[in-house]
Amino acid sequence: MSAILEVTDLSKAYAGVHALDGVSFAVEAGSITGLIGPNGSGKSTAIDCISGFQKLDGGKVVLAGTDITGRAAHRIARTGLMRTFQTVRVYERLALSDNLAIAAQQFDAATWVDEFLRTRRYRDAIEASEARARRLVELIGLQRYYEAEVGILSYGQKKLVALAAALMPHPRIVVLDEPVAGVNPSRIREIEEALRQLNEAGETFLIVEHNVEFITNLCHRVVVLEQGRKLAEGTAAEIHTDSRVLEAYLGMTPEMAVAEMESRP
Amino acid sequence: MKLAVALVAALAFAALPLLTNSNYIMGIGVSALIFTVAAAALNLIYGYTGLLSFAQLGFWGIGGYASALTVVTFGGTFWWGLVWAAVINAAVALVVGYPTLRTNRHAFVIVTLTFALLVTMIARDWVDLTRGALGIPNLPPPVAFGYEFGTTGRFYWIAWAFSVAMLAFLYALCTSRIGRTLVAIKQNEPLVRAQGISPMPYKLASFALSAAITGAAGGVYSFHLGIIDPLFLDFYFMQTFLIIVIIGGAGSFWGVVVSGIALSALPEVLRFSADFRMIIYGLILVVVMFVMPSGVAGWLRERRLTRLREQLR
Repeated sequence: MSAILEVTDLSKAYAGVHALDGVSFAVEAGSITGLIGPNGSGKSTAIDCISGFQKLDGGKVVLAGTDITGRAAHRIARTGLMRTFQTVRVYERLALSDNLAIAAQQFDAATWVDEFLRTRRYRDAIEASEARARRLVELIGLQRYYEAEVGILSYGQKKLVALAAALMPHPRIVVLDEPVAGVNPSRIREIEEALRQLNEAGETFLIVEHNVEFITNLCHRVVVLEQGRKLAEGTAAEIHTDSRVLEAYLGMTPEMAVAEMESRP
Repeated sequence: MKLAVALVAALAFAALPLLTNSNYIMGIGVSALIFTVAAAALNLIYGYTGLLSFAQLGFWGIGGYASALTVVTFGGTFWWGLVWAAVINAAVALVVGYPTLRTNRHAFVIVTLTFALLVTMIARDWVDLTRGALGIPNLPPPVAFGYEFGTTGRFYWIAWAFSVAMLAFLYALCTSRIGRTLVAIKQNEPLVRAQGISPMPYKLASFALSAAITGAAGGVYSFHLGIIDPLFLDFYFMQTFLIIVIIGGAGSFWGVVVSGIALSALPEVLRFSADFRMIIYGLILVVVMFVMPSGVAGWLRERRLTRLREQLR
């Protein structure tokens, strides 16, 4: 396997506070990589810097061999990196079908001239986009809402719409910012299953999440951040037993936990 | 279906000069058509792209003066006057828009308002060009192939053809992928950027097109009046366009077109009560805004959504 996304020595400071301090990691093509860490550890800043929504102070981001460091967000997206947002972002007052179609329209060859003249190229692009949209909507189980305005959906359903939109243009990598935060637990299973299926079909994911169980169930590799630095990296099983990680997350190591339990009457 | 209704309505409007000899009624018809076009252009930048532009008043004035000056000072035809009105406005919009659209939406409102006031001052104070408060009277009627559009009845055809062409263009634009992208930018700009679309060219293009169409509309209207002076930049016009858009429902193409025709005719229909007509007009506006805060089209849409929610429950 080769790395589709390589992040080297990422640095970012807000008013002198280091949000990111030399973070490096890589995402293998075809993998699901998790990025976890306590609140304020720099996860969101990291993906904002990678996707061009924040200017980084130092470091390098390479996507599929192309240096995308410091590029504008829309140019990074065109290079093949699609992302979602922590607080769900969808076009509330557009139909689900339009939400998905817009996500793909920048990536087909049809121009406005093609559209005006209804050329073959335009019709092919629309047909391909429509087919992709139908398949993704089926995957997220929202077929009956296909023509409905997204605003009527629940928060969890909107997260699924955002996921489907990110997948629309066949990106090289999809970056998900807290895909299950604030989502009803029964739906978390559905999202997990959908992501697994998509990954088996060849999609690559980088997932930022608080929900450790979700991450360990799903991810091939996990990167742990704490206070802007990389604390640990490894498989889910390795991370699960890493005492530094447990201390960062729980404030205590397993030994300390056992000691505390034993000291209780 | 909507298009069939629109076609029938357009033909019905074309028939107005055949139904009446009254210059008064045809004059209202001309105003209604031109105001509807200007409101639809405002709808493009405000209703679709989500940027409230008071610069429309400035574009309207620049368009009026540009076409009047083309004919009177530079010896061109009315038709070239309209072309200049559109071209100059598009260029001005690009120059004003490029820096302004980089700021936020609130700053955009203030800058466009200032721009409109600036144009008003130029119209009044650049006496060598605009003849100041005296204005430019006696604008000659347009001529095409030796046919002079000298009466209100004849001029009505120009206004009609102009509005049908502009509205058809705006309709094609607003229902295209470009129009949908403008709506997307209004609703969620960061998401648009995350999907590989740069919002700036779309915002600039919609601002420039809106300016060009408003300018051409101003050009037609100035020749309808036959005179242009600084009163052409009275805030009354901006207010009219904005009321049409808000009552019709910002972001709804047909809502704004229907409300443009209806609200241009309404003050005249209310003439049966000469003393109270503007009070009644105001009351109607207030009541509509109370009952339908997002315009007629917004109100219809909400009802549709409520029904849909019940169905899906």
